[in-house]
Amino acid sequence: MSVKVFSTQSCPWCHRVKDFLREHKVDFEDLDVGRDEKARNEMLEKSGQMGVPVLDINGTIIIGFDQEAITEALGL
Amino acid sequence: MTANDSAASSEKEQKEADSSPVISSAKDGAIAGIAQYDVAIIGGGVAGYSAGMYAGRFGLKTILFAEKIGGTIMLTDEIANYPGFSMISGYDLAEKIRQHALEYGLKEVPARVAAVERKGSCFRLRSGKDGKDMVQAKTVIMATGTEWRKLDVPGEEKFTGRGVHYCALCDGAFYRDKTVAIIGGSDSAAKEALLLAQFAKKVYIIYRGEKIRPEPINERKVEAQENITVINNTHVTAIQGESKVMHVDLDTPYEGSDSLALDGVFVAIGHIALSDLAKQVGVTLNGKGEIGIDRQARTNVPGVFAAGDVADTNFKQAITGAAEGVTAAYGAYTYLNEQDIICACNDEDC
Ligand SMILES: Cc1cc2nc3c(=O)[nH]c(=O)nc-3n(C[C@H](O)[C@H](O)[C@H](O)COP(=O)(O)OP(=O)(O)OC[C@H]3O[C@@H](n4cnc5c(N)ncnc54)[C@H](O)[C@@H]3O)c2cc1C
Repeated sequence: MSVKVFSTQSCPWCHRVKDFLREHKVDFEDLDVGRDEKARNEMLEKSGQMGVPVLDINGTIIIGFDQEAITEALGL
Repeated sequence: MTANDSAASSEKEQKEADSSPVISSAKDGAIAGIAQYDVAIIGGGVAGYSAGMYAGRFGLKTILFAEKIGGTIMLTDEIANYPGFSMISGYDLAEKIRQHALEYGLKEVPARVAAVERKGSCFRLRSGKDGKDMVQAKTVIMATGTEWRKLDVPGEEKFTGRGVHYCALCDGAFYRDKTVAIIGGSDSAAKEALLLAQFAKKVYIIYRGEKIRPEPINERKVEAQENITVINNTHVTAIQGESKVMHVDLDTPYEGSDSLALDGVFVAIGHIALSDLAKQVGVTLNGKGEIGIDRQARTNVPGVFAAGDVADTNFKQAITGAAEGVTAAYGAYTYLNEQDIICACNDEDC
């Protein structure tokens, strides 16, 4: 299972997403698109979005803290 | 049985509820009894959790539904007007209020309520896939808050999330050294502009009225911020660009041009009350769609209370929402004390 979280340091819903993943013991890669341009471009390409959080769960792109979609994609 | 009597047994019931599935899910016609609560709170912002904290103190068996745990205050970086904290982030304030409520055994469900209906003297709430998860409650506190008001101009929808945004704290970091505009003239708009000014090289505040109207302390900060320029008496009529935002059209020329070059637009022109669920049970709304409440946070429907930004109070702040939430919990407690409510209908078919 590969989980990427595209986030910024200030974004509150990003904190919630990461707390949620930690609570469920899901390992994830945290990419700060506020600073990391490569990650920002990857996110833009995958989601067409300049808003965070964006999650890439095994290729499924989820925009925002959509708990139901995240739960489903992770099979929790 | 009065609420006083129920208070003693309530802690025990709450523990049982915590260890058993709280929500009955109707599957293949096999229906367990629907879980019953004294209070169902819809909304997980400051108003909802404050209500939850006090309902817990009153010993009421309480469930809280939150589509987005923490709510709107999470989107503000600095709160300097919540008594007791000279400065705290919205995230921390939301989390403190939430944890305080959870200490009293509040059952928290991170889900959207899709429907509320009256069942005898009680209310049935539906959530989950196809509304199959149900609970019943003797009272309901509506603390559903608001959603962003849209600008409703060409280009807004096309560029949403890609140049048009509604939360500076969330998306401001994309505009480091860029030029952005905040549209709106309220205190929130000014605070958003001040936040963006930390990232962006230039921030315009575009306001349709004569003069922006933040709190005086924020007005002074805006005036002192060198990279913020206020453009009054001006409407944005369209957001233009190709793959990204390039400029906005103005109805009044600024520095001789009716177009202003920008990389991003942040909309802060107010909010719309999320009161559809209240309407479903016959609650009276005002012209702005806000829920009418009295000084006990009661609506016109017995057993239904409301608090926070969704209510028709003029001054909408975290502290006023928290206070209304607490008042609503007291209202529910008093209501339950005054009568013996039995949720007679306890399965899906009635
Ligand atoms: C930019 C900005 C800056 C601000 N700055 C300040 C400040 O400095 N100080 C201050 O005191 N206030 C400030 N405010 C105002 C403050 O944020 C609000 O008054 C307060 O957060 C409202 O809280 P609430 O609980 O009423 O609603 P919200 O926080 O909006 O919460 C509503 C809750 O209901 C949930 N919900 C809605 N519908 C459903 C449903 N169908 N099912 C389940 N859940 C549902 C939502 O997900 C959310 O959890 C600011 C607001 C903004 C926008």
